[in-house]
Amino acid sequence: MEDMAKIVFGAYALIILCGSILAVGAKSLVRAMVGLIATLLGVSGMYMLLNAQFLALMQILIYVGAVCVLIFFAIMLTRADSGGEEAESAPLRQNLLALTAVLSVGGILGWLVLTRPLATTGVPVEVSIEKLGLGLLGPYGLAFELISVVLLVSMAGAVLLAWERRNGK
Amino acid sequence: MNAIPAELLRIIIGLVAVAVSVGLIGLVMVWVERKVAGHIQRRPGPFEVGPSGVLQPLCDALKLVGKQLFMPNGADPILFWLAPVLSFLPVLLLFLPLPVGDGIQTLDVNLGLLLILAFSGLAVLSVLLAGWASNNKYGLLGAARGVAQAVAYEIPLLLSVLAVAFVSGSLDLAQVVKLQGTWPWNWNIMTQPLAFLIYIVSALGETNRAPFDLPEAESELTAGFHTEYSGMGFGLFFLAEYANMVVVCSVATALFLGGWHGPVLPGPVWFVLKVSALMLLMVFARWTYPRVRFDQLLVINWKWLLPLAVANLLLTAFFVKLAQFA
Repeated sequence: MEDMAKIVFGAYALIILCGSILAVGAKSLVRAMVGLIATLLGVSGMYMLLNAQFLALMQILIYVGAVCVLIFFAIMLTRADSGGEEAESAPLRQNLLALTAVLSVGGILGWLVLTRPLATTGVPVEVSIEKLGLGLLGPYGLAFELISVVLLVSMAGAVLLAWERRNGK
Repeated sequence: MNAIPAELLRIIIGLVAVAVSVGLIGLVMVWVERKVAGHIQRRPGPFEVGPSGVLQPLCDALKLVGKQLFMPNGADPILFWLAPVLSFLPVLLLFLPLPVGDGIQTLDVNLGLLLILAFSGLAVLSVLLAGWASNNKYGLLGAARGVAQAVAYEIPLLLSVLAVAFVSGSLDLAQVVKLQGTWPWNWNIMTQPLAFLIYIVSALGETNRAPFDLPEAESELTAGFHTEYSGMGFGLFFLAEYANMVVVCSVATALFLGGWHGPVLPGPVWFVLKVSALMLLMVFARWTYPRVRFDQLLVINWKWLLPLAVANLLLTAFFVKLAQFA
């Protein structure tokens, strides 16, 4: 069973990796978004492997079903060419900067993982929705409310931006 | 050789059964839809092929399979062919947690309801990809309508489902069905009539069925997002639509109409009967109501369904809490 879990882990990691490379590298915006969807599905699979079924399904429901669809809507409004002709290859300096960014984040994370391995349980424990809900409204109430404030601010900002545009017409 | 795990065997048998029944349901529903349309709108065509038109769906299916597959110039080849497959495959998954009878269920998961809601969201993506990849303005317009409609109608749908989940205290469909009784007055529809109404209307919107079939409105957009699909490319979208109808009707049956509960007859028979009645209702709605305008569609959702669903949810939460204290 453990070997099986390792194989599945490898498969999900591969999906995430390929998806993210496609998301960053694809010339066409829509193809990039398909890559993003593959990545999100892979992450959801990882959650499933960690026995966090609720989180996995929420990942699909919210990120794949809602967020990606809205991103798609935004792409559609830009009238981007389906061939992605508007995408020009980035200059060398930008590529170098991107590489530095990847190496710094990846390096720190890799170093942390290698030097300070987390204490993990052998078999992941399933947390029921009741526990999750009580936790979010109890001990983690402050963080939960703060996140909702962030969402409220972004929503208000979006309304404000749309409002100005309409007045300008 | 190791023994195959029982769970895996169950899932494989379930998947095969689902795949077979989706094909059969597709054939039967084409016939039913043509017959109902024929009677309501005086379209005598489907009465001609075979005794009372039973051979018509077979001819349709043969025609679809035999047609050449085209791809328009300038279309994105990968995304163009990914879209119909993506519309059909997740639907098979949606059937797994449905409790057809007492203990007759492929996948017994605690979060069955959530699984169905999560994976039904992938259907929108296929509409989008199809419309986008076709390199066709009607396709794109259909896709744009599809997004606005799906994003809007998903919210009241989720809220009405959540109200039932509050009452039952579970997201497990088998559990929700078990808590209901044999007779109609023991079903959830008696305690949640408004949620049922909201669910049915939003389900029509989510499955792109008339009177809410704006993404493929043939009189305005030729065929909307699937304009450029021929043969089985179109056939897969078509099958997926019927399969989605079966899923939303089955969920409605399990949530509101007592699932497999019923007097005298065995459970699965009752389940199939209730699902067929709801499907027939959807077919009748399609052929009797004219298509709404797009702004009307959004007004119905944002100004009526959403506030009603939120009010219903708040009231439900209040009474559930009250019942706990009492």
